[in-house]
Amino acid sequence: MLKPLDKSRWSLETAAHLLNRAGFGGPPAEIRKLAGLGPDRAVASLIDYERIPDYTLAPDWAKPDPEEVLQRREAARDATPEERKKLQQEEQRLQGRHMLELRQWWLSRMARGPRPFQEKMVLFWHGHFATSIEKVRQVPNAAYLMWRQNELFRRLATDNWERLLVEAGKDPAMLVWLDQAQSRKEHPNENYAREVMELFTLGEGHYTEKDVTEAARALTGWSYDRRYQKYVYRPAFHDEGLKTVLGRTGNLNGDDVMAQIVAQPQAAQFITAKLWNYFAGQYPPDELNTALAVVFREFGNNFKPLLRVLFRCEEFYAHDIVRNQVKSPVQWLVGSVRVLECDLPPAPASWGITRGLGQDLFAPPNVKGWDGGTTWITTNTLLMRYNLAQAIVQGNYRMFGAGDFARKPGGQGGGPLARELQVLPPAPVAVEKILTPAERATREQLVAALERRLLQSPLTGEQEKALRDFLASKPALSDDDVRAAIRLVMATPQYQVA
Amino acid sequence: MKREISLQTRREFLRTTMLGSALSWTVPVFVADTLAALQSQAAAAATPAVTGKDANILVVLQMAGGNDGLNTLVPFANDFYHRARPKLGLSAEHVLKLNDQVGLHESLTGLKDLYDSGCLAVVQGVGYPNPNRSHFRSTEIWQTASDSGRVEKYGWLGRYFDNACAGCDPTVAVTIGSQLPEAFFAKNPKGICFTNPNQYRFLAGDPVRAGETNLTEMTYERMNAVEMAAVSADENSGGTIGSLPAGMPMQGGSAAEFIERTALDAQVSSDQVRNIAARFENQATYPVSPLGNALKLVAKLIGGGLSTRIYYVSQGGYDTHTNQLGTQQRLLKDLGDSVQALVTDLKVQGNLSRVLVMTFSEFGRRVAENANGGTDHGAAAPLFVVGGKVKAGLLGTYPGLAPQDLFQGDLRYTVDFRCVYASILEQWLKTVSAPVLGRRFEPLPVV
Repeated sequence: MLKPLDKSRWSLETAAHLLNRAGFGGPPAEIRKLAGLGPDRAVASLIDYERIPDYTLAPDWAKPDPEEVLQRREAARDATPEERKKLQQEEQRLQGRHMLELRQWWLSRMARGPRPFQEKMVLFWHGHFATSIEKVRQVPNAAYLMWRQNELFRRLATDNWERLLVEAGKDPAMLVWLDQAQSRKEHPNENYAREVMELFTLGEGHYTEKDVTEAARALTGWSYDRRYQKYVYRPAFHDEGLKTVLGRTGNLNGDDVMAQIVAQPQAAQFITAKLWNYFAGQYPPDELNTALAVVFREFGNNFKPLLRVLFRCEEFYAHDIVRNQVKSPVQWLVGSVRVLECDLPPAPASWGITRGLGQDLFAPPNVKGWDGGTTWITTNTLLMRYNLAQAIVQGNYRMFGAGDFARKPGGQGGGPLARELQVLPPAPVAVEKILTPAERATREQLVAALERRLLQSPLTGEQEKALRDFLASKPALSDDDVRAAIRLVMATPQYQVA
Repeated sequence: MKREISLQTRREFLRTTMLGSALSWTVPVFVADTLAALQSQAAAAATPAVTGKDANILVVLQMAGGNDGLNTLVPFANDFYHRARPKLGLSAEHVLKLNDQVGLHESLTGLKDLYDSGCLAVVQGVGYPNPNRSHFRSTEIWQTASDSGRVEKYGWLGRYFDNACAGCDPTVAVTIGSQLPEAFFAKNPKGICFTNPNQYRFLAGDPVRAGETNLTEMTYERMNAVEMAAVSADENSGGTIGSLPAGMPMQGGSAAEFIERTALDAQVSSDQVRNIAARFENQATYPVSPLGNALKLVAKLIGGGLSTRIYYVSQGGYDTHTNQLGTQQRLLKDLGDSVQALVTDLKVQGNLSRVLVMTFSEFGRRVAENANGGTDHGAAAPLFVVGGKVKAGLLGTYPGLAPQDLFQGDLRYTVDFRCVYASILEQWLKTVSAPVLGRRFEPLPVV
């Protein structure tokens, strides 16, 4: 189990597979480069990202603002109910603008940043410790909190399991999201204790209801300071009594609970299975997962060495793994702009696209995150992908209406964003950037070039024929005709997988 | 069930399945009237054709998050209730009384109207043995109708279709939303899902001249046609023949094949849905909310004659660990007004007597309030059944609220939810319930 893939099997195909899974895919030149490095260096070039400088700046609003919070509180206290409502609406609008900027900021890191693998891990942790702005917005400066959690995942992306659990639990957005901040010894709130065991570390059947209630008691004290927007320990909230969690007894606190959780064998199995599923596209068979868990434990529950083994092993390059994972909406969008070598859509459109396809960044549907895999594909979302391909190829996002940007579908408030998109001039894909004259010389060459760039594998005979017939009706093979062909290739089942 | 296949496309296969034997067929499959003719022929066969057209329709309305039943159907005269909920307890002035013991939350004026006009059954104390307090697990239990100790792969409605529906149209089950619920997971899965019928199609993008076939659209259709694979003994071949509904987790087989099948379902159903959605103009006023919009669309589709047997809609937000008073007020108003609007439209259409709406939530909430103005996950709660033919009134028994009556601080169930399902399966959908539910549950008649 987990033998490294033999160097002789390293090829354009394996390099493309690695780039798709450990990153967001890329154009032929990037794949060729990775293929030329051989498997060890190719994997290292992606996962040893600390070597790659990244000078991305934080958004300028991404910091605590205790003075403003104080001012707003005082203003609200002296205000009439109407004035207070106006102040609240202003705050929500401001946070909404920040969130729009934050999503685009993150998507840009994925699409253009120097460390695609790190961003792919951030996306994994975001789905794992799924936290939504929809609830976090009830505290001041919510967008800063969401940015801060995102940065936590970036900083500890491939770090240590226990460290990540403790810091993720003390993260302000998480403290608000799962009600831990308010939990006090008189009536401990069980929400965080339950979800951390059920969804983040062990899974159902590997802890008891008593473990949950006892852990909730132990976690009391982990709280949040709304004014200074940081984690704070409140001794008055903490239950000082004896608790027994997962077999350990004592005056336990939250840190103790996390340590005891990670000590369970299941805690390793659980996360290795999830990581394999995220990168390989299906849950590992028991034997394989056991082997992964052993590796993980041997490396002290540190993710980087585990992931090195994962991306090097033969199993990762098996026939039923390669080109067999449905692209998530984010992967679909980011991957598309990478292979088309074009810009990300403007911020409102990026948001509309990922949200419409079922993956609203910073707003997962619930704490379970996104199921992923084939659940991304419904008759609805498939047709949407096929239609959005047109928007991306034409660089024209005018089809979005106010309703697409309302906070809730069917609700109010989306007008300004929709209008923003109406006035932008279309920015169609620059065909000369992605096709050489030789690749456009004949219709056959063109079809082959599009297969290489967009699919890294051939279409079926029938599909190729249909596309050639389509191109046969276009005497000049203009840029517009080429774009139409690109759109047709993006509107196939094969384009939805990677 | 295996079949010999020597066909070119799945579309042709759909036609032969409907008719039971191969025929050359010139009328397009997706025309609803033609389907009705096909289905009435199929009705002569031993298994009655499953269709919503001219037959009974079920609308499943999920209240996601775990709705607090105690503040929905309020035991306002009960001392234990008020003692457990000093802040959250609703007094007699804040309920719409159904009798001198219980009343509906004051926001549920829409449901109260339906109660008074004999269209609402309130089933009290619904739950199941060994209740589970996890959202996902308990939702899964309701969706799959499993015992709480077992994990079932398929949903109860999926099993209904597996039992009753050999070659149904893809639109036989419609989810208004973007994700297929577990209730529809099946061996030979059925159903489509969408949020807006007008966007539910391939948009060619180039201008279409009248009378000309759009080349882009034709090319797209050719590039997405499915070549029929040979039938194998593999369990998954059921999925190759039937339509795997979009959104169901893969059971082996390639992801691209799954997407091919979804593309075909999308093609066939998109013309059908758009034609039909345009036929009926809503007369009632619906709340502007995801639920309101969904039920408004359901009214259109029923009125237009879509042959859907089961609709599924969902309303989220009920997980009220904090700020329960405000949240429930908003959500229940949305619920009551949306359902009332649907009933109004169904009456206008003359369809009320063949539609049943059933609500469900994964659990109720704890009897005692918590320290944050909310309640934590609990167990038993009431559910609503609405329609022209319901057994109107209060059904079941309100669970006891005295401390000795509770189970770990939660209400004990008095009606197993599978008894409600059994009634709907047997008396409404006219099928045998035991194979669908795994065993015999005594129906609690709701119709």
